[in-house]
Amino acid sequence: MTGSGPRAVSRRGLLAGGVLAAGGALGATVAVTAVGSDAPSTHPTEMTPAAEIGLAVEPFHGTRQAGVATEPQAYAAFVALALRPETDREALGRMLRLLSDDAARLTQGHPALADTEPELGLLPARLTVTFGFGPGFYQAANLDGRRPPSVAALPAFRIDRLSPRWSGGDLLLQICADDPLTVAHAQRVLVKDSRPFATVAWVQQGFRRAAGAEPGRTQRNLFGQLDGTANPKPGAPLETAVWAPDGPAWLRDSTTLVVRRISMNLETWDLLGRTDRELSVGRRLDTGAPLTGTDENDEPDFKALGSGGLTVIPDFSHLTRSHVTEDRLRILRRPYNYDGVPSADGTADSGLIFASYQADITRQFLPIQRRLAERDLLNEWTTPIGSAVFAIPPGCPEGGWIGQQLLG
Amino acid sequence: MRTNTRPRPAGFLAAVLAAAALLLVPASPAAAHNSLKATTPAKNAELDTAPTEITLEFLQKLDPAFTTIVLSDAAEQKVPTGEPEVTGAKGTISIDGTLANGTYTVAYRVVSADGHPVQGSYAFTVADPAGAEAPAPTPAESSPEAEPTTPPTEPGSVSPAAAATDDDGDGGGIGAPAVVGGGVLLVLVVAGGLVLLRRRRSTT
Repeated sequence: MTGSGPRAVSRRGLLAGGVLAAGGALGATVAVTAVGSDAPSTHPTEMTPAAEIGLAVEPFHGTRQAGVATEPQAYAAFVALALRPETDREALGRMLRLLSDDAARLTQGHPALADTEPELGLLPARLTVTFGFGPGFYQAANLDGRRPPSVAALPAFRIDRLSPRWSGGDLLLQICADDPLTVAHAQRVLVKDSRPFATVAWVQQGFRRAAGAEPGRTQRNLFGQLDGTANPKPGAPLETAVWAPDGPAWLRDSTTLVVRRISMNLETWDLLGRTDRELSVGRRLDTGAPLTGTDENDEPDFKALGSGGLTVIPDFSHLTRSHVTEDRLRILRRPYNYDGVPSADGTADSGLIFASYQADITRQFLPIQRRLAERDLLNEWTTPIGSAVFAIPPGCPEGGWIGQQLLG
Repeated sequence: MRTNTRPRPAGFLAAVLAAAALLLVPASPAAAHNSLKATTPAKNAELDTAPTEITLEFLQKLDPAFTTIVLSDAAEQKVPTGEPEVTGAKGTISIDGTLANGTYTVAYRVVSADGHPVQGSYAFTVADPAGAEAPAPTPAESSPEAEPTTPPTEPGSVSPAAAATDDDGDGGGIGAPAVVGGGVLLVLVVAGGLVLLRRRRSTT
């Protein structure tokens, strides 16, 4: 009895203090989340049973290679190989027959020939293996005359801090699937079978949201920005932007790929307020809508004036600098995020594996990249640290192999 | 015994202050950002003679690629000027014609050394005893479409302006509705706390 009174009082006092603290924290949360954000948009969730994700198959054979117009899978490994000096045109043919056979089997959910872990080959999870030929590939084959002219090392840009660790490469294997174990196994099989012909120049592994997490949604990078809004729409726009419409058999239905490793400085980006972030990008962070619009796909109005006569969308914004309206000038971005191990003091090693497909690098990619290098405020927080270009040759029919039109 | 049960005003005050501090702390830490130091003409100046150029001086060196200065009249129409000429921390625009009497708004958008955008605006008035009054505002036609790949950066493209603001801040921070909402919440929370404390007092 003696202590009951004080205890009850002190409990109530505790409650009062708790309410105050919680209220304060809640108020702060409201204040922070209310900055420039509507209620979080809800998307219909199309539930895909897990078994379907594992068993889903993308075609390997066809006039065009898979992994370009394919809805991006959740995981990717970009494997760049350097050809051994003795790998000539004939050896390249042997190598590509072998690797095409591996890819044809694994993508369809069958173990590779002499697969040492055959159980890992049974869940393709929409595995695609896309082959790319760098400038050195054509030299090794003594077929430089058949190299698409725009497939050449990019000019140096002021913003570049390129490392050989992430640059160049003679043969690219872009391995994508909705399951990271599937990607790892395919990478192991393909690298192992490449050994007699090539060494590994670099590998970049990346990720997006898990399969089915945000169906049909533009991907977000680690700055929280929607990334890929301006991609050409499926159908005629994508046809125009991406694929070579005619030419000899080794050119028709081909495309090109630019892979850039973009380091993103999360430490300094974190110091930027939401309004400033949106001014740098030219888009709202939540919806991805241009600052002059309400929907992600609204056409930006670069002339719209706001406070005191300034344009609503700054002329130095990423949107302003990268904007193109003609389909023949668009690029198909198919990027993946990377997130390495933070340093001991917690500094992030994060960024983007920028991957863009376009019919012609000189016509489409370079003008955009020049404008960005010249005056994109986002350069303050991003640094290109790797760069590579590849031709993506046409696909092959059943029983055929990638590169047969070029080497055969 | 009595000391244990007594309400503690100091503790209560601390809780209120802590809650208030949480509400008022800025969303992002304020770094050493560029800001406007001096202007010619000065803010809110009343000028007998129309200026022929406008100079803004900032705390930090300006990058010409990221420096925008625009002049608008009272009807929120852009006044034709040259591109900003940047020397160190100063940016100058020359005014193409002669300014009629009236109030004008200078708006600027620059970038700090750490990349943070800074924008704001201020007004001045031309009141030349011998000068002409500003003509009645007529909505001007837009200039021809610019190249789609190079959106307009040059002054002279005239379009209806939204309401001019008079903030000299960097445009960041917490939105007003959020602050108001947070304030209301804080009041409610404090009131609730007081009620509980008063009840506690009456029970002892």
